[in-house]
Amino acid sequence: MHKYSRNKLISVRREDKNTLIVHGVLDDDIYGIEQNVRISIPDLEVLEINGKWNRWTTPECPRAIPVLQEAVGFRIEEEGFSGKVHKIIGRKACRHHANLLLECCYSAKEAALIAKWEDKKAENKGLTFKDFINGETKNTAPALVERPVSAGRDFVQRDEVKKKSFNKNEERGTIIDLHMHSSPASPCSSVPVDQLIYDAKSIGLDGICLTDHNYVWDKDVVDELRQKHEFIILRGNEITTNQGDMLVFGLYKDIQGIIRLEDLRKEVDKAGGFIIVAHPFRGFLVFNVGELGLTPEKAMERPLFKYVDAVEVLNGKVTEKENSFALKVAEGLGLPVTGGSDAHEVSEVGTYATMFPVSVKDENDLINALKTGNYSPIAFKKEREKIKR
Amino acid sequence: MDNILSFLRNRCTSVEEIDEHTLKSTCRLQDTLMDAVVEITVRLPDLEITDVKGEVYQSCRKECRESADYLRKITGVRIGPGMLKIIKGLIGEISGCKQLVFMVEECCHGVILSFTKESLVDAPRPRDIEEAKEFYAEMVRENVRLYNRCAAFAPGSSLVEGFDLQENS
Repeated sequence: MHKYSRNKLISVRREDKNTLIVHGVLDDDIYGIEQNVRISIPDLEVLEINGKWNRWTTPECPRAIPVLQEAVGFRIEEEGFSGKVHKIIGRKACRHHANLLLECCYSAKEAALIAKWEDKKAENKGLTFKDFINGETKNTAPALVERPVSAGRDFVQRDEVKKKSFNKNEERGTIIDLHMHSSPASPCSSVPVDQLIYDAKSIGLDGICLTDHNYVWDKDVVDELRQKHEFIILRGNEITTNQGDMLVFGLYKDIQGIIRLEDLRKEVDKAGGFIIVAHPFRGFLVFNVGELGLTPEKAMERPLFKYVDAVEVLNGKVTEKENSFALKVAEGLGLPVTGGSDAHEVSEVGTYATMFPVSVKDENDLINALKTGNYSPIAFKKEREKIKR
Repeated sequence: MDNILSFLRNRCTSVEEIDEHTLKSTCRLQDTLMDAVVEITVRLPDLEITDVKGEVYQSCRKECRESADYLRKITGVRIGPGMLKIIKGLIGEISGCKQLVFMVEECCHGVILSFTKESLVDAPRPRDIEEAKEFYAEMVRENVRLYNRCAAFAPGSSLVEGFDLQENS
């Protein structure tokens, strides 16, 4: 028996020389959706959308329908089209409506191609469709895959995972938010770097690490920022590997695309750097990894843990259960643990951080401190009153 | 002719439980220009993709007819947040066939939605609209990641009425 099925049926007809009418239906075990979309052929612009629900889940799902109008005016061939649909329709309306809208739009794109071929064929009767697309348009495949535009999440998560307590009399060392994203270096962030630094300073952090996605900050630029703000600003990098996101310190090589974790490990070893696996058990919207039957013991067997030096167990973007799960796994493996806000928005800066018992003033200090394994993650925003010197 | 279609697409994604630890998700596409199937095998509880198969029965695009073998590169990837970036990064550029890559994504979404369905089916059935609202309001309190993720959970919705982001963070 099928556990789940989804059917999508899209039909496109040519209303006139310049207009396509698209009708899309999505029916799956959970949702029933329909859309009618009018699209211009010459510039593939969305002219009109009408959407409706046939079946839905929450009592508030109907609120999504008016928001679909925000996609009117989008052009299917413009750069970042699918990212815009995911970000605007998927986030502000409904991701299932976004999925159907993309299906409608890319079907329209194919239909527009057929329409253009038909028009050409009127002049050249022997022109086959195959010859038309191979000769005229080298890259006419439906642009279903583009660079993802991930939207910054404008919330923070609860923290109830086990935290190491603070002794107010202890020398507190250095507290650094090891995981944050700035705009425009990370397209998913909405915070300019100066604002990020200003906020980090104002809430009392000692320093921050800029860990933009697959982005190497120029040393001189960071030195200037450091001097301008009189604040500890260090360079890191959140690199996407085939085994998920890794926070990398001490490697200043520009790595684009997806690197295999084993290969990243070799690069980092050559550079004398350090790898922290970021949010290793980030889950789903409606269910979490625990519901899939994943136990900490089973999770410890994941090969990725052979290639990392530490585990991020306090991350501002995941649930308390997921942070707690990461902590159990790290403890089981005997790996050091860190915290970082993963801030993409102003309100998220410093949610979590890492406390080092030693002074960390520059990137060498950071690598040395990380390699000792002697530090602890902290829920900085909640605990900051207790740790004021 | 006014009412004759110029393009028709039919896409079906289904998820099948092979055994207690294995799922198979299949996406079949049949449209005016292409006929193809992609199938992924997923191991629980890690949701790790252990096998990928793709076949293009018909396409006027050479890049699609020759791309199915590249799909194997995603073997070992786990289905979860961030997977689309990884899948596109691993096969999006080498395979010129964007449609096949999209079919892999649809297979992965199918797996996630199969668990979403399970969670909803297992939940107590609300007897009226107020109970339904409470059920979903509790869901967003339990997982703040849902907050502002769609119109139903955006500010102004009754499901997040009185929801304090700071308190629930």
